[in-house]
Amino acid sequence: MRAPRPLWSLILIAALSSTAASAQFGSIGSIVNKARSAQKIGEGLRNINEQEEIKIGGDLAGMLLGAAPLLGDPAKQRYLNSLGSWLAQHSERPGLPWKFGIVDSNDFNAFSTPGGYVLITRGLFDRMRNESELAGVLAHEIAHVVRKHHLQALQKRLREQSLSEMRSYFSVSTGNGLADRFAGALLSAGKDLYIRGLDREDEYEADRMGVVIAARSGFSPYGLVGVLQTLTATTDQEGYGLHNRTHPLPLDRLMRLDAAMGTRFDSTVGLADDAASFVALRKPPSPTATPAKSVKPKRPKSK
Amino acid sequence: MRSTRAILIAAFALLSWTAARANERGVVIRAGDLFAEPFIDSAKLGPLTSNQPVTIIERRGGWLAVEVGGRRGWVRMLNVRLEVAARPGANTAAMRTNSTGRTVATGVKGLDEVDIRNASIDREQLGKLGELSVSAADARQQALQDNLKESKVDYLKPGKVK
Repeated sequence: MRAPRPLWSLILIAALSSTAASAQFGSIGSIVNKARSAQKIGEGLRNINEQEEIKIGGDLAGMLLGAAPLLGDPAKQRYLNSLGSWLAQHSERPGLPWKFGIVDSNDFNAFSTPGGYVLITRGLFDRMRNESELAGVLAHEIAHVVRKHHLQALQKRLREQSLSEMRSYFSVSTGNGLADRFAGALLSAGKDLYIRGLDREDEYEADRMGVVIAARSGFSPYGLVGVLQTLTATTDQEGYGLHNRTHPLPLDRLMRLDAAMGTRFDSTVGLADDAASFVALRKPPSPTATPAKSVKPKRPKSK
Repeated sequence: MRSTRAILIAAFALLSWTAARANERGVVIRAGDLFAEPFIDSAKLGPLTSNQPVTIIERRGGWLAVEVGGRRGWVRMLNVRLEVAARPGANTAAMRTNSTGRTVATGVKGLDEVDIRNASIDREQLGKLGELSVSAADARQQALQDNLKESKVDYLKPGKVK
């Protein structure tokens, strides 16, 4: 049983009262189903609970993983999750079940989906100059989740969908026609979103929040600035294509970040650019180097 | 324990040095000063003019150590634009791509519009992703080991873009 949602009922009433719109599914189902289908999501996606948000995010992360699978490198994956989890603890949603993954693609990109899923490409990981750059990228993605940017963008695309289909999607696991229809619409809207990108303002906001989340976690806030600088010096032919087509111009982002940061961090000391645990993982060990085992980050369980 | 730490520090220093040697090039975009140290109140070594080419030797926080016209000093990161030819990292050969932006060397596919358009949900991979997560407590332990120091910082307001 789900907790009652007072907001829901308000939205439902609002949606019902404005439903002069015709039922879209004339050929499907009974008259009762037709009437239920006529109720649209409207603003409903804004008010889903955390579990529902995680379900949506899981499907979209699963879709991205369908496009590029996880990198088979447990040490890097564990490192990424440790860093990501640490950063997320310095956001406003530390309690989400945050999950981070490196996907096996040479392209340069990073994605997040609602509910705390963050995926970066191997190409991005390999092109980080230092740990503060990676922290900046992860913190930028964490900010998208915290501010529910993707959920709001999906809201715009799914508002005409049937409310009862969405509720079926959230309440049943599989094999329900209504639920499947919403799942299909969600997947299609999600693909459109990850191909077109978020609103510019959402990206600027995630940049401003990302540098702060990184600084709160002990990293130099200039890591993200360094990544944006890298991006100003790239072309679409180098595996940056999708990233560059889905984000505002990096120079524009740099100028805005510069204006927002000003001299704010000039006197801050003790912020890290790098850590041994990242340096050890950043590049493949050369054949003559010490075996990776001895430089892997260690996590002693006891003293 | 102590010797492991010494090895780590040595490896770190060596790798930092190696990374620093992959010199990137940039151009001064805002006239300003060349500083002796990466601090705003450090001694000034002389003026920098717009469009002056620099070679980047090191990065520290918001600062770049650069070589410019035979001088060496520090300049604010945001006063320099990277040259398009500059590519970070020494492993550029491994990132060579063909005209479609796909990787040739490893045969691993890229991740573009077509890949996303054609993707279906991979539940098995999603399950694997779930197994990777690290608890907040474990993450904190790692962060302490890496000497990361938390601080309270307020979010930034949008600034006025000139």
